[in-house]
Amino acid sequence: MVSVCFYFQVHQPFRLKKYSVFDIGNNSDYFDEEKNKEIIKKVAKKCYLPTNKLLLKLIKRHEGKFKVSFSISGVALEQFEKYAPEVLHSFRELAKTGQVEFLSETYHHSLSFLFDKQEFKQQVLMHKQKIKDLFDQEPKVFRNTELVYNNELANFVQGMGYNAILAEGADHILGWKSPNFIYTPKTAENMKLLLKNYKLSDDVAFRFSNKGWNEHPLTVEKYGRWISENNGKGHLINLFMDYETFGEHQWEDTGIFEFMEKLPEEILKHPDNDFVTVSEAAEKYPSVAELDIHNFMSWADVERDLSAWLGNSLQNSAAQELYKIGTIVKKTGDPALLSDWRKLTTSDHFYYMCIKWFSDGDVHKYFNPYDTPYEGFITFMNVLNDIIIRVRELQKQKQSEDKKLTYAQTTQVEFSHNMISETPSLTLIDPEISLSKIE
Amino acid sequence: MLGWELPPFFAGGVGMVCYHLTKALCDHGVDVTYVMPFGPRMICSGYMKIMVADHLFPKLRFKLKEVETLIGAYTTPESYGEDYQKYLASLSSKDRSKSLYGPNVFQEAQLFARKVRLIAFNEDFDVIHAHDHWTFPAAIAAKKASGKPLIVHVHITEFDKTGGTGVNQRVYDMEREGMHAADLVIVVSNFVKQRLMNNYGVPEEKIRVVHNAAEMMDETADHDASKIKETDKIVLFIGRITLQKGPDYFVEAARKVLEKDQNVKFIMAGTGDMLPRMIERVAEIGIANKFIFPGFVSRDEVAKLNKIADVFVMPSVSEPFGLVPLEAMWQETPAIISRQSGVSEVLNHVLKVDFWDVNDIAAKTLALLHYRSLHQQIKQHGALEVRNMTWEGPAQKCMDIYKELAGNR
Repeated sequence: MVSVCFYFQVHQPFRLKKYSVFDIGNNSDYFDEEKNKEIIKKVAKKCYLPTNKLLLKLIKRHEGKFKVSFSISGVALEQFEKYAPEVLHSFRELAKTGQVEFLSETYHHSLSFLFDKQEFKQQVLMHKQKIKDLFDQEPKVFRNTELVYNNELANFVQGMGYNAILAEGADHILGWKSPNFIYTPKTAENMKLLLKNYKLSDDVAFRFSNKGWNEHPLTVEKYGRWISENNGKGHLINLFMDYETFGEHQWEDTGIFEFMEKLPEEILKHPDNDFVTVSEAAEKYPSVAELDIHNFMSWADVERDLSAWLGNSLQNSAAQELYKIGTIVKKTGDPALLSDWRKLTTSDHFYYMCIKWFSDGDVHKYFNPYDTPYEGFITFMNVLNDIIIRVRELQKQKQSEDKKLTYAQTTQVEFSHNMISETPSLTLIDPEISLSKIE
Repeated sequence: MLGWELPPFFAGGVGMVCYHLTKALCDHGVDVTYVMPFGPRMICSGYMKIMVADHLFPKLRFKLKEVETLIGAYTTPESYGEDYQKYLASLSSKDRSKSLYGPNVFQEAQLFARKVRLIAFNEDFDVIHAHDHWTFPAAIAAKKASGKPLIVHVHITEFDKTGGTGVNQRVYDMEREGMHAADLVIVVSNFVKQRLMNNYGVPEEKIRVVHNAAEMMDETADHDASKIKETDKIVLFIGRITLQKGPDYFVEAARKVLEKDQNVKFIMAGTGDMLPRMIERVAEIGIANKFIFPGFVSRDEVAKLNKIADVFVMPSVSEPFGLVPLEAMWQETPAIISRQSGVSEVLNHVLKVDFWDVNDIAAKTLALLHYRSLHQQIKQHGALEVRNMTWEGPAQKCMDIYKELAGNR
């Protein structure tokens, strides 16, 4: 018996405009509404709408035997509300079938767990509420941004009441073990850890249309066989991938939709096989062993670690400066400011600053709205500086009302001294390169 | 190879490219007979001539043939007129009728061609490789004399020099004739390729792009700039102060930078027809005390300036390649370069701007001056990038082209 667990990740960031140093202090309109709207509409057309329609069809056709799980970031949901409400409607239709489970994640698709656990908790609760409001579900299973995971995370998430958590079935943590079983995270005995079968997942998500691949073309029969081969050798096949695989990463003309349409039938040909949601998987199967994962891992790039977002000093200093001011931003009590700051925590902004593969120009470049990672950094830092100016303005206002402003907090952030000057001189943060241990 | 003045005679970008390319070719086993224009313009002694031949290139591979001429790599019809007058003035009155050189540049080019033709008759070679552009008539003559295939190597065109207006028709004709007579045309960038296709009617199949590489320089000793750098950052411009190089955009961007940050000094090194205007302009807008105009600078001084600079800016309006930012990057100075340049096609670790976008130039300058980790990262990656741009690449491409034309040898 082999259970197939499909999990799809849906996410779109709020991308930044071309925000230059001359905009700092002059305008706080950071996000490129035009572009974000255009992208949402485009991906909705190529992917979200047709694939949701297909899944709905398959769920009805297979009368309760076919099910899937989703995690949709809060920032994506917000953008659907704003720019493509029909997408939201189609996800709601899926929710109503009762065969679709929604997971929990950070609202802003952020790496906040690495920097500020309180912020992390708040973002998770925000997201939980959103899922309840939109889909009338209370998520019981958690996945962190980009499947960033370690023991500590599992422990923390267990403390928040979740039953199961997802992670990448990376070779370096599995060794000889198989991702096709459930494990118990060390330090979190009550949690079930579901690991992505990266080979079978990436066969669909990445290799599907690659004519140079020796298994191309991937037919349902072949893939069905690979899945069923695991009978007796594993419990669970976790197929975790970006939802944009369907229609956007793999274009329609690759035959990806036809493939998906025929797949459930093919899998169900074997009476021993079935489909499960993440919760069903966690309930059905026992854990076979404990897994001790101390260092953070992820599902990104070859390294499967944090280097896609925090590998170089640009990314590190930007992230540190961002999270440093979290508390002060919240103290101002200004919801618009807080919302803007939170949108900056989205991991994509740091992804764009990755220099790793820059010279080779590959997958990072494709999704990058900037010409170079340097421009990504500059734009981000300029925006951050404007946020700081807004914080200062609000603090000044409060100061005249409330004498108890703690300057201690402001000095932490290496503000320049020119708080009172006639001609507004440039007061950019000059982040020091202090690589703290992010493990 | 029909090239230009080799070191220690400094002929600017073209001369440097000729030198580096020739050296790399020799290192790869190509025998080069180098025809070098040589005239009273060049201060020299017999010793220097020998030095060129013996010390710069492997003896067995390199043969130098000097040809007396008054033309130089950057000669214009007007400048030739001046040089010619100077030459005449240097002759004693009775020699004046026996001038060695033609009275105008086009006739001199023909005289030069005749001399080169003789060399072509007597030398044994497989291909002719001629660099811009006064060598073209000579190159055509050599081709006719020897029957060997001709490659013409275009570094810059009359169009780029004049910005499209005031193109000298006869120069244009000569360039065009050379390109059409050639069996293949090498250009230093896609930028130039487009120019040839659009303005010179050269068919695409005939053009090969061989990007220039970076000069491998020695490590410069740390120049003591502590005095000036105590208070100010330095933003550097090196190049001819002329329309093509966009010096006016540099000045306007400087003004914007100073609006936000007073602690910056701008150095504009070089000479040119726009220099007086630039000096006037900075005074006009009240930033003269932030500007330094060193005038013409030697290679050593260029290296030192690059080393102490915090940011290098190349706002060229139309730059067929652009070697200057490579030198800055070598010295670990981040560069902001115009997209309207050939070099922007090959560099990754730079910030690119459109030359007219003064706000963008200023914004990127400020970002580099103020975000330390950005400055650190980009200068390190940039330095590495140029160290990997050796002349191996272009030399190999030229060799492939030679083989294509002359069959395998």
